[in-house]
Amino acid sequence: MASVTFKKIVKKYNDNLILDGVDLEIRDHEFVVIVGPSGCGKTTMLRLLAGLEEITSGDIEIDGLKVNDLPPAKREIAMVFQDYALYPHMTVKENMSFALKLRHFPKDEIEKRVKESASILQLEKLLNRMPKQLSGGQRQRVAIGRAIVRKPKVFLFDEPLSNLDAKLREEMRVEIARLYQKLNSTIVYVTHDQVEAMTLAGRVVVMNKGHIQQSGTPLDVYRKPQNVFVAGFIGSPTMNFLRGKIEKQEDFFYFSNQSVKIFLPLFSFPEVEKYSGKDVILGIRPDDIILDDKKIDHAHKISGNVEVIELLGHRENIYIKVGDQKILAVGEAFSNFSPGSLVEFSFNYKNIHIFDATTEKRINS
Amino acid sequence: MNDIIFSLLQVFGFVALIAVSVGIIELYLWSHFRYHDKNSIFFTSVFSFTFLALLFMNIGGLLSIKNFVIFMFWEIFLIYTSKKLIKGKNYLPYLLAAPAFLGLLALLLYPFLFQIYLSFHDLKLTTIMQWKQLGTIPFVGLKQYISVFTVPPLAEAGFFKLLFRTLLWTFVNIFFHVLGGFILALLLSELKIFRGIYRTLLVVPWAMPQVVAVLALRGEFHSQYGFINVMIKKAIESFPWLASIGVGPVNWLSDYPLLTCILINVWLGIPFMTVIILGGLQSISKSYYDAASIDGATYFQKLKYITLPLIKPVLMPAVTLGTVWTFNNINVIYLVTGQSGGTEQADILVSALYKAAFTYNRYSYSAAFAMVIFLILFMISISYSKMFEEKNTDKGAA
Amino acid sequence: MKRETAKQILIHLALISAAIICVYPLSRIFTVSIRPGDRVISTDLALIPDGATFLSYMKLLKETYFLRWLFNSLVITVTTSMIGVSLASTAAYAFSRFNFFGKKSAMIMLLSTQMIPAGMLILPLFLMIMKMNLMNTYLGMIIAYSVSSLPFSIWILKGYYDTIPKSLEEAAMVDGTGYVGAFWRVILPLSAPALSIAFLFNFTSAWNEYLVARVVLFSSKQYTWTLGLFELQGQFITQWGMFAAGSMLVTIPVLLVFLYSSKWLVSGLTLGSVKG
Repeated sequence: MASVTFKKIVKKYNDNLILDGVDLEIRDHEFVVIVGPSGCGKTTMLRLLAGLEEITSGDIEIDGLKVNDLPPAKREIAMVFQDYALYPHMTVKENMSFALKLRHFPKDEIEKRVKESASILQLEKLLNRMPKQLSGGQRQRVAIGRAIVRKPKVFLFDEPLSNLDAKLREEMRVEIARLYQKLNSTIVYVTHDQVEAMTLAGRVVVMNKGHIQQSGTPLDVYRKPQNVFVAGFIGSPTMNFLRGKIEKQEDFFYFSNQSVKIFLPLFSFPEVEKYSGKDVILGIRPDDIILDDKKIDHAHKISGNVEVIELLGHRENIYIKVGDQKILAVGEAFSNFSPGSLVEFSFNYKNIHIFDATTEKRINS
Repeated sequence: MNDIIFSLLQVFGFVALIAVSVGIIELYLWSHFRYHDKNSIFFTSVFSFTFLALLFMNIGGLLSIKNFVIFMFWEIFLIYTSKKLIKGKNYLPYLLAAPAFLGLLALLLYPFLFQIYLSFHDLKLTTIMQWKQLGTIPFVGLKQYISVFTVPPLAEAGFFKLLFRTLLWTFVNIFFHVLGGFILALLLSELKIFRGIYRTLLVVPWAMPQVVAVLALRGEFHSQYGFINVMIKKAIESFPWLASIGVGPVNWLSDYPLLTCILINVWLGIPFMTVIILGGLQSISKSYYDAASIDGATYFQKLKYITLPLIKPVLMPAVTLGTVWTFNNINVIYLVTGQSGGTEQADILVSALYKAAFTYNRYSYSAAFAMVIFLILFMISISYSKMFEEKNTDKGAA
Repeated sequence: MKRETAKQILIHLALISAAIICVYPLSRIFTVSIRPGDRVISTDLALIPDGATFLSYMKLLKETYFLRWLFNSLVITVTTSMIGVSLASTAAYAFSRFNFFGKKSAMIMLLSTQMIPAGMLILPLFLMIMKMNLMNTYLGMIIAYSVSSLPFSIWILKGYYDTIPKSLEEAAMVDGTGYVGAFWRVILPLSAPALSIAFLFNFTSAWNEYLVARVVLFSSKQYTWTLGLFELQGQFITQWGMFAAGSMLVTIPVLLVFLYSSKWLVSGLTLGSVKG
């Protein structure tokens, strides 16, 4: 078990800047999920840590030891690849014991460890199969098994579930969570799927364009996104963003643009005075739009027209148009709205996100 | 028995020698690439390899100031490359590719350069002993190149006649290879059953050792016992009127040697094209044809607008390769006409080259001849690749 | 439906006649090889002649150096193939997996060697072999053959390596090998099919070679089988039966190997040229 430190990591491919001075500290026993859109540099981070790519500048330390020039073999890490990368010419057992054999472990020790991890992953019956005789989920488990027999300092997962179908993905997600509780080791997990990030992570690291946008607990990232990118990336359906100005009328502050005027209570934005008259972006998650007549803030309600309704079974996506402003709300299923009808709603002021329009950084706490 | 054992020992020794020298070369390159910035190790290796080089030159009797200077130049060049280009990183591909490329250098590039050297000198039967013992041959400048065009390589045919014959030979062969291959591939692809069996039987001419195939077919063209003339005779026996319109046994080998060679080579070459084109046909998605059928295309329209354009990327490289192979095909012509007393009526450039070198022993002349052939072929391949490039840019635009 | 059946029948008829033309010469060789000695030359066209006998085969093995020729061919061919494939396997790996200065020009050089007529280099090779005093030896033949198939082998192997996912080597390196170890323990075992195809290609091209052998080897004990058969066939009248018997003996194994591997060979050919 070990800690991992990235210090001012820069990675360039020719003139293409992939990582632009990334700093990240991963503590012992931590489950860190790096999430971001494709091309954001998350996989590169993992490959740099594994030693599969060369760092352009900066340092990576594992357990305080600088590993920049160490080949992958000497970094005491294990990795689960996106396409599993099981050796097709070896049986499951040989796949799992390959690394130990290379390190000249005694035979009975190899046997013991393979047995142990096979039983954790329910692979006992498959040990003598070849990879091509396995299903996708089984291959995934073998790939994980190959990593855990090593008892490495750090586990690296590179989008391990992206090749599985939805149902299997859920199962494996739970299995990985269970495994983490059992192993309690340092895990760096890369994915583009925010559900995996939210459910598995002890800490989520959101990346975009070679920078870390925010790093924090899943709840942190969801409730207090530090900038517009994180706010838009995390959460499904995507947060509504409204561009407008802060205006003061009498003693109250309002967010307004051509189409809407939204009351901003002071508790949701204590420093509102400072931004009076400035351009901001207001973010509100569809779940935080209140449609229930009993709960609406009737003094400051907004009305609009329903454009489209998508029924998802347990709930509905309701697309509302207020003037030119489009807003998505999530409501209970069968809420009796119909397209074109009038709808009244208000915001859950506790969960309003306000960002500076130019820097796109969060300005309400 | 003894000579076999001796030969085998020689072979084993050779293989061992190759293994050892590959090892030494790899070590040599590795030490230069890896330790270019660690002076102590680097200079030890440079020094020791220089010593080794001197030692080997001494053993091989090649020790001379000239060779040593060449070695030192090479050394400087290598040090420069390892410092500037490789910088201790990413040297592995060079190590991996080095043995193969040294092999190509020694046995492909060196002979090629030697050929050029020969073409400007005069090596023939009378000077060969001098060359063998002293290593010198008289320099004659461009004389050999001039005589390529003025002195016929063989007893009968001159250069331009041979060139014309070669182009005819290549064109006719490729035309029938592609046509035959295309027809057979279309037939095969339309089949519902037994496709594998037919495919296997149809590739037999390609699969047989060429020597056997050509020699066997040559026998079939024999004027008296060959299958073809036997059939003609039988036909005349059954239908005597055939004889009256001039049909009769033909002295294939002596009267129509080029035609015979072409017939044999067409037979040999069709299977290759069939297999390539069949592969191309099978890679075309059925949905194109379904779409065309819905649009109301006839069979030949589909052939023209779907099949032909879509197999072009497969067909064109095969045609290029086939052209080069056919142009260079000595085997068929030599095996058919090469025996002592054989005709020279069928010879194309390359077979004339082979005969000029090894039947008439005119080495330097042949070397110049070879260079001229090479240039012709070079121009042909450049024009082919130009055609490709145009195709490729077309695709890029679309 | 009827029209479709008629079409299929016509196609079968056309293909059957094509197949007959393709196979007929081979069947003729077979017929001649089992004809009794006094009727080797005949205008008879039956597949199995009257009084069929294996006499020609017996005579071939007893009276000529046929077995010795096969042995010579085998030694030369196996050695050149082994040298060729091992050199090609590493070079192809470099081309498949690494980006390095000069890669593109080296690839072009490899391809352009295919344009050099094989017959063109026979003369300088012959002179080199003569100068090294290796005329009439296995070694001279091996030297002349060993790199001739190298570019093509590199091309096939590169094409195959390209299909092996890179993550396999990365997994091996994370598991504890270096580059060389990953190549040796993962890539080479996985490439067994391509390696054997490259080997077969080297093997068949050297096995069937005739022109170099013609000028390098001159004592009939050192002949390869191609030279031996050519000599037998030359004396048309007397040796025709033995030539046919020898042809059968060398053709059958080559044919089987080729039919087994032809699919691979073709995919190697097209892969290289289309993707190139």
